[in-house]
Amino acid sequence: MTSFLKRWHKQAPKKIKINRPEFSKQEPVAAQKVEKPETLTQRVMKKALSGIGVKFGLVWVGILVIAAVFAPFLANSMPLVMSLHGQISFPVVHYLTLEDWVVLSAFGVMVLVWLLPIRHHIRVALVLLLTIPAIVGLLVHWKMPPKPLVIYDDFRQAPYTQADWRIMPPIPYAPKDYLRDYGDTGLEAPLAAQERTHLMGTEENGADVFSRMIHASRIALSIGIVATSISMVIGIIIGGLMGYFAGWVDMLGMRLLEIFEAIPTLFLLLTFVAFFGRSLYMMMIIIGVTSWSGYARYIRAEFLKLRKQDYVQAAVASGLPLSSILFRHMLPNGVAPLLVAASFGVASAILAEATLSFLGLGLVDEPSWGQMLDQAVKSSTFNWWMAVFPGGAIFMTVFAYNLIGESFRDAIDPKMSRRAGVSA
Amino acid sequence: MLTYLMRRILLMIPTLLGITMVVFAVMALSPGGISPQSLVDGAMKPNQRQALMDYYNKRYGLDDPAPVQYLRWLNNVSPIGFTTNEKHEITDFSLTKGSDLGTSFAYGRPVSEVLAERIPITLLLNVLTIPLIYIVAIVMGVKAASESGSRFDVSSNIAMLALWSIPTMLAGVLLLGFFANVQHWQWFPTAGIGSRAAQDMPYMPHWNSIQDALKFFGGMIAGTLLMVWLSRWPESKIRIVIAALFGLVASVAMAQDHGQQSIAVWVLIPLLGMLSVGGLAAINYTPLRVLGLGTFGLIVGGALAYQTLDQGFVRGFLMDRAWHLVLPIICMSYGGSAALTKIIRSSVLENLNADYARTARAKGLSQKEVLWGHVFRNSLLPLITIIAGLLPSLLAGSLIVENIFSINGMGQLAVEAVKNRDRELVLSITLISGFLTLIGYLIADILYTFADPRVAYD
Amino acid sequence: MSLLDVRNLRTYINTHTGSVQAVDGVSFKINQGETLCLVGESGSGKSITALSILQLFPKGLVSHPTGEIWLQGSGLLPEVLHSPKADLAAKRLSYAKRAVSYYRDESESTPPEDSVNLLQLSEEQLEQVRGDQIAMIFQEPMTSLNPVFTIGDQIAEALSIHEPELTAAEQESRVLQVLDQVQLPNPRERIHAFPHQLSGGQRQRVMIAMALICKPRLLIADEPTTALDVTVQAEILKLMRKLQEETGMGMLFITHDFGVVAEMAHQVGVMQHGRLVELGAKDQVLNHPQHHYTKQLLAAVPDNLIKQKSVVVEFKRPALDGSIDLKKAANQPEPLIQVRELSVWFPVKKGLWRRTVDHIKAVDKVSLTVEAGKIVALVGESGCGKTTLGRAIIQLERPTAGQVLLESTDLTQLSQSQLRQWRPKMQIAFQDPQSSLNPRLLVETTLTEPMKVHGIGHDQEERIEKAAQILEQVQLKREYLWRYPHEFSGGQKQRIGLARALVLNPRFIVCDEITSALDVSVQAEILELLLEIRAQQNLTLLFITHNIGVVEYLSDETVVMYKGQIVEQGSTDQVCHRPEHPYTQKLLAAVPRLKFA
Repeated sequence: MTSFLKRWHKQAPKKIKINRPEFSKQEPVAAQKVEKPETLTQRVMKKALSGIGVKFGLVWVGILVIAAVFAPFLANSMPLVMSLHGQISFPVVHYLTLEDWVVLSAFGVMVLVWLLPIRHHIRVALVLLLTIPAIVGLLVHWKMPPKPLVIYDDFRQAPYTQADWRIMPPIPYAPKDYLRDYGDTGLEAPLAAQERTHLMGTEENGADVFSRMIHASRIALSIGIVATSISMVIGIIIGGLMGYFAGWVDMLGMRLLEIFEAIPTLFLLLTFVAFFGRSLYMMMIIIGVTSWSGYARYIRAEFLKLRKQDYVQAAVASGLPLSSILFRHMLPNGVAPLLVAASFGVASAILAEATLSFLGLGLVDEPSWGQMLDQAVKSSTFNWWMAVFPGGAIFMTVFAYNLIGESFRDAIDPKMSRRAGVSA
Repeated sequence: MLTYLMRRILLMIPTLLGITMVVFAVMALSPGGISPQSLVDGAMKPNQRQALMDYYNKRYGLDDPAPVQYLRWLNNVSPIGFTTNEKHEITDFSLTKGSDLGTSFAYGRPVSEVLAERIPITLLLNVLTIPLIYIVAIVMGVKAASESGSRFDVSSNIAMLALWSIPTMLAGVLLLGFFANVQHWQWFPTAGIGSRAAQDMPYMPHWNSIQDALKFFGGMIAGTLLMVWLSRWPESKIRIVIAALFGLVASVAMAQDHGQQSIAVWVLIPLLGMLSVGGLAAINYTPLRVLGLGTFGLIVGGALAYQTLDQGFVRGFLMDRAWHLVLPIICMSYGGSAALTKIIRSSVLENLNADYARTARAKGLSQKEVLWGHVFRNSLLPLITIIAGLLPSLLAGSLIVENIFSINGMGQLAVEAVKNRDRELVLSITLISGFLTLIGYLIADILYTFADPRVAYD
Repeated sequence: MSLLDVRNLRTYINTHTGSVQAVDGVSFKINQGETLCLVGESGSGKSITALSILQLFPKGLVSHPTGEIWLQGSGLLPEVLHSPKADLAAKRLSYAKRAVSYYRDESESTPPEDSVNLLQLSEEQLEQVRGDQIAMIFQEPMTSLNPVFTIGDQIAEALSIHEPELTAAEQESRVLQVLDQVQLPNPRERIHAFPHQLSGGQRQRVMIAMALICKPRLLIADEPTTALDVTVQAEILKLMRKLQEETGMGMLFITHDFGVVAEMAHQVGVMQHGRLVELGAKDQVLNHPQHHYTKQLLAAVPDNLIKQKSVVVEFKRPALDGSIDLKKAANQPEPLIQVRELSVWFPVKKGLWRRTVDHIKAVDKVSLTVEAGKIVALVGESGCGKTTLGRAIIQLERPTAGQVLLESTDLTQLSQSQLRQWRPKMQIAFQDPQSSLNPRLLVETTLTEPMKVHGIGHDQEERIEKAAQILEQVQLKREYLWRYPHEFSGGQKQRIGLARALVLNPRFIVCDEITSALDVSVQAEILELLLEIRAQQNLTLLFITHNIGVVEYLSDETVVMYKGQIVEQGSTDQVCHRPEHPYTQKLLAAVPRLKFA
């Protein structure tokens, strides 16, 4: 698999070559074999990916991504494919929401972009281009009236049961399918009931825990990534300005930083959420807006350090424009440690969402891991499967991201390990 | 130094203003804002509702524009400012009016009173937790660093990362669900930090007969000694096997105590018990092994002795409190000590590789003397920054732990205040925690001048 | 009978990828009262040899497949020597040796009498030898002292280990005595000082005092003066010689500077790739080197380069078309850069409102004229403002006052954007090879980007061709264009740094200590290269350095700076041989030189 990927990853050939004949005058042919140089990024990646921990982390995140992208196909109440009177239909596809379409198409394009043998910056441009329709799509979805409610009980009745043949998803229950038609709904321990298989049991309202877990992975992943991106962008802008211009900009920025650091993050989050509502997108923005201070501090310190580096000074001395100095010579060398912080950031964003949900300030409608854990606490009796599975998922995800972050940190700069602070 | 202090304290003022302004702005800008609507709930006749709303508006000045409300609050809080009359009109300027945190909407009582009730509880939790965190972290971190690259280092590193990643709520829910629940083991109380009955008990625990007391303590001591002796057994294989046997016996007893008897319980629990006690015995770091097995002996010995008591005993206030605090403190300490262990490890490691450590060895100091005499002191410097963060957390409390264990501390209060949109309370908590954070930074900087002769402020 | 007898020592460093042969079969002897200087370039294994003697490695880092280090009269008590633990250690070692008996050679003979093999001692026994019998001082006096303890405590610590019977008062008097011995001023007050409160030279004195307090018989000094200025270095070297005469201790002195060797050594050992390639008496090795590596090294020392200067330039480029004759350029004095009353002050802010109360005058009213086609050396000790002056001239640091005229235009009056037009005319090359190149950019990008910005070359192809030519000019291969900086050695990076300065066809280059971080042989190559480039392109160089030997070799004119001001300037010949200012005289006298008969 990896060799296959590597083949596609080959860097596009350089457009310009120096005329080869000249080489041979100076060097024997053997020494001329121009190998593809290993960039610093590749070297760090190789070093970072060599550990077992990081592999475990990446595998888990990979599983999550698959689960999140294909959630409607993995756990749903309607058949994937069925044939009714010789007519083949795809009920799952029929009921996909706009959100599902956005997620699926984004994933598809990402995979394509990754695998196609095109130049790196075209790839970046394509990905950037794609985010625009994705955001528009989500905004439209946000403003649109919700689709009429799907009545899951119908799928266990008439036309669906009479199909000639049908293929059900691996977990034949939708996350919000409370199995009202069975009458005896309610708590069920894993594999307790004979007639239905609930691998992870059901919650108090009779919905399948596994199905909810799979759909909740979407929230965990998207909140982790989007919130971290938001806070990173804010942090890079503010920290970069502080670090490059120093002087009074730095002074003001530091005060702003202090303000945001002096309020406990969780408390700030709570305040924001309590006063601004709890939709998924709001949550992403709020978590992003409340956690940028670390990144800003980081980038500021990094820029202050980089400004004194000889190669930046040389760039200034060569009269290069400010944009080149900032974005070519400083930022790429400053963001590597930031990406490590981002990995830890994703972990803490996931944790933050889970905590909010747990405190009853999370998403109202969608199932999320934190909310499922909250359900476990709120229920009158303690049902281990309601706590262990979602809690374990949070743990595994946070652990995975921490492992990834840790090994990248060690690869970039072993001394940095000290700087990781105690976080909530 | 004095000018430096003055300067720092002056700089705190704009920051504090900024902190409260941010929080106030969030409240004021939010849809709904700080309006009496959010206070008046429940079914009420429209005119009653209106009357109540008017009352709140008048009492708290909620119908004024937000900036006016903020300035008024600021004036109340600041020790120097204007004095006002009933109708919020300025009457006089005073330097000695004192600060007033206002009255909580939800509780209808002065904020300072509400805070005074909650602070001791959170303080108690933290005063117990923080030393625990530090002791564990220092023992583990220093050991891992001085053996960097060894099996102990690698495994403790992964274990610490895993511990750090366990969400507090998961740990809390599981501990509560398994060890304070009729379905499993009802060993600990489910909520609060003391039972009502304990209010009337004497402070210290006491036994009805001297024999019982002796039995109880004797059992604990015997168990501890036995296990400590075992943990120092030189041959590791024999040690592990014997310890695993003890674990098996203890866990069989545990399985018997389980609320719902089933085959799964009878298989799983003994297996887990064997593995974990055997694992404790397999640790090749002697102090840790002694500590682990000793604690195991203490608990098992105590529990066995407790079973054989002829006449029960009165817990007393102290034991009752301790009994209630076991689970919350476990929840509050594991994550922090894991994180701190990693920090101490890297800090000690960095200093062990420093040039001055080599100089010390060249003088003829042993590795241990270098570690504790030279390196440790320098490694503690980065911890000062962390200690700065302790001050606010002493009072801030853990939102999650207090929520899970229904402890009425500051964390709970903060959640309630935010949920109730209790303006006065939210602002006061913000102000206090912000103030403590800044003071913490200041104290850390001052501590640095004492701990590190290189740091000096003009 | 010698004090220390090292036989066939091999030290392998165990890394993740395998073991590195850091020291490979080294044998030497040191007698009482004698100094052995180990010389070599970085990575030659000289420091590892020193550390092997005291076994100062982290646990499990190294192994010694063969080797004996005999210390005569260890001073260890017999019961300590023959404890069960020690016997066990010796047994293990002999097993290990048998396993690698392949390496053994016949020279291994009977052990000298009354000696112990340090490699066979247990950790506890070594602790008794360290500091008491053999003491060591290190290169970096700042980091080698523990920052949080007073120097008195740190010195007394060694005493309390090796002579625990002393009372506190006796200890203090011993500490005072030894501080007196190392000529630290005001020892009674300094005893309570922390390391950061002392200057570099004073710290090194404290290090020496710490080493000497237990009166060791052997002192190992690992580049003790490398981090110090020349004048301080001269004092420390003098002190060490004096102390050796007083105490009669043996000394193992590690250095890379042949000038220091000439001053200190009785015997000289030259190391290369972990092997001792030449060992002999000082005069023998310095004047009649046998091994070709020693010859190369000695030839590369700036003192010796001077003699070959004319030869090298003419030999390497017998006839250069279009090049401008050196002498011709020198005969047309035409001021390229005029610095008038230039000051760079950094404000010192204090008090409640951070008012500027004082200034650090890094450069204070300096006037200087650099004529076209000349190499002007700017000399001074660390902190004298020479780097700041260099940066202020090319406007990397905006000056506080004064003028810098480049071709009669005052650069200090130009805005940043106007300055950009002038940038190509003046370039800079830096000291530290590690940070002088952007690690994320191909050499090609580093070289062509400035050309593109300044419109040199019509298209990228042309620019690349030019970059390749310049790489060749700095004696690198053209295909290095497609590599990243981390693939190059320090000397190669410095060459690329020079190439980056050259691509814009500058008239003037500031070379800020470009050879300081390099080994002598590489330094010699870079210096030759500079002379060649100057000859080809009629470049004007401002060469900032602290190394007088380099100045004499390279420059036409010399400017001496001290505390932000220029104390002396003139032709190199005049400044270096007939100095007028007392500071210049002191500086020149302090330079350790290879003396030739």
